[in-house]
Amino acid sequence: MSELQPTAPAEKKKRVIVGFVCERSIPIHEMLDAQKALVDDPETKIIVLPCSGMVKPTQMELALANGADATFVCGCAMNDCHYRTGNIMIRERLEGERNPKLRKSTDKRKVGMFFFTMKDRRPFLDALAQFKASTENL
Amino acid sequence: MYKKFLQLTKNLTVSLEKGLNFITTQENNPLYFHGALPLYTFWFLIFSGIMLWMYYIPTLDRAWTSVNYITSLPVLLKDASGQLLLKNGSPVVSAISPATGIPYGAVVRGIHRWGAAAMMITTILHMLRVYFTDRHRSWRWLPWVSGVLLLMFVLFVGITGYLLVWDARAYSLVVSTQAWLEAVPLVGQGLSTFFIGGDAIRDFTLTRFFFFHIGGATFIFWLIWMHFIRLNEPVVTPSRAVNFLTLGFILVAAGVYPAVNVTNDLIAQYPVLAGDKGFIASDAPAQIGYLVDVIRYDAWYLFPYYLIEKTGVNWAWIILGGSTILLFVAPFYPKDRRDNIAEVVEAKCTGCTFCSLDCPFEAITMQERAPGSKFKLIAVVFAPRCSECGICVGACPFQAIELPNTHSKTIEADVLALLKTGAQ
Repeated sequence: MSELQPTAPAEKKKRVIVGFVCERSIPIHEMLDAQKALVDDPETKIIVLPCSGMVKPTQMELALANGADATFVCGCAMNDCHYRTGNIMIRERLEGERNPKLRKSTDKRKVGMFFFTMKDRRPFLDALAQFKASTENL
Repeated sequence: MYKKFLQLTKNLTVSLEKGLNFITTQENNPLYFHGALPLYTFWFLIFSGIMLWMYYIPTLDRAWTSVNYITSLPVLLKDASGQLLLKNGSPVVSAISPATGIPYGAVVRGIHRWGAAAMMITTILHMLRVYFTDRHRSWRWLPWVSGVLLLMFVLFVGITGYLLVWDARAYSLVVSTQAWLEAVPLVGQGLSTFFIGGDAIRDFTLTRFFFFHIGGATFIFWLIWMHFIRLNEPVVTPSRAVNFLTLGFILVAAGVYPAVNVTNDLIAQYPVLAGDKGFIASDAPAQIGYLVDVIRYDAWYLFPYYLIEKTGVNWAWIILGGSTILLFVAPFYPKDRRDNIAEVVEAKCTGCTFCSLDCPFEAITMQERAPGSKFKLIAVVFAPRCSECGICVGACPFQAIELPNTHSKTIEADVLALLKTGAQ
C-alpha cells in the first residue's frame, strides 16, 4: 500500500496592486520601501500625489490595462479633505457622477476607494487586505 | 519651529477627531462641519431675533420692561392633567394670558441667548480647527481674514444684544465701553460720543444700539459672502444628524435655562430662580448713574469687559488689539515655497470648463480666446489662489492642465514602471 505523498503547494500567483495615495491622508511616506511598495504589503505599489482629487480615472485604467490586478485611490477622511473637495471629486468620478468618469468597460470591482486620516495606518491596511481578498478571483 | 508647532497641533486635532469618528462615523463627525455650524446657528439667531423684535421697544423706560414682558413665563413642563409646571414642579397660574407675558417667550429668548453662545463657541472651534490643521495660510488668506472680521462682528453684535436688555449690567457695560473708547488718543472722546449717540444717554442711545445690533447682524451676511467667495461649493449646512444634535442642544438649553432677568418679583413667583439671587442687582432695570458691584459676565461675549475690569482700559486695548493684529497676520507667515502651480497647456485646452468648475479655491477662470481660434475659451490660472492640489489635473480629460513637478506623463510612466518591477 503506497503512502499518499503530500503534494507541493501550488505557487501563489504574484499579484500587483497599484494605489494612488494622497500624501495628506494616511502616513504614506513612512509606509513605503525603496521600490515604492508598501512595507506591510509588497504586492501593493504606490503612487503618491498631493491630493486624491488629482487622480485621473484614465490613470487607474492604464494600470489595469497593463497588468495590475486591482487599483485603488486613498484620500483624506470624507468631509475633511485638506484641499476641501479632492476626495469628494474622485469619489464622484469613480462612481460615474462627475466628469471625467471611468469607462463603462472598466471592471469596477477592481477599483477601490479608501478615505482615511493620517492616524489610520492600521485601518487602511485592514481595508486594503479586504479589498485585495475581494479581487483575488476576478 | 513654528511649522513644527503647527504639525503637532495637527496631529493632536486629527487624533481627537479619529476618536470621535468611532462614535459618529466620518459622515457625521461634528468637527468635520466646523465651518457650517456657525452659519447654521446664525439662522436660529435670525429667526428668534425677528420674533423678539416684534415686542422690543428701544427706549430707556420701556426696553427692560418689554424684554421681560416677553420672558415673564419661564415655563415648560406639563403634568399628567395638562397643568403647566415649572422646573421645580410648582404650577403656573396662567400660561397663555397675554397680560402676563408671551407664551414660550422665555424659550424664544433662550434660543436667541443660547444660539448666540453656540454661534460663538462654534466660530471659535472653527477658527481653532482651521489654524491647528494649517488651513489658514497662503492662498486661504481671504477666508481667514474675513473670518477674523466675522469673529469681531459676531462679538460686536453679541455685546450690543446684551445692551438692548437695558438692565443694570447693560448700563455698566455702556459706561465701561465709553471709558475704553475714551482711552484712544485724540479721537477717543469722539468715539465715545458716537457710541451713545450724543453727550448723554437718551432714548436715541438705545435706538442706536438697536441699529448696531441689527445692522451688525446684516453686515455679517456680507462678511459671510466674503468668507465664501474664494471657495468652490462651500459647505453651508452640517449633516442631518449634526443639525438635529445642534438643534437639540439649543432647545434643551433654552428650555432648561431660559433667559430671564432675575428679580425679586420673579423669584417670588418662581422660587427655582433663587439660585441666581446674587445677580439680582445686575439683572434689575438700568438706572443712569447706578453701577452694580457684581456683573453677570457671559464668558463668550463679555470677556472684553472682564478684561477691562481686571486690567484697566489701557491693558485691555493692548491685549485685545495685539491679539487681533496677530490673528490678521497669521495667514502670511511662514511663507511656503510655491513651485508647483498649475499651468495650462494652451494647445490642448478645449475650454471645456471642467478644471474651472472643480477648482476648490476659484483659482481658474475661463477667458475668451482670440477671434478665429479653434476653441472659444481657455482656462487661465490665477497663481496666488492656486493651492497646487492638482484637482484641476484630475478634472481635465485632455491633459491640458498640469502641475509642473507632478506631471501626468510622469505619473503614467511611474505606473508602468511599478507594474514592470512588480511583475518580476
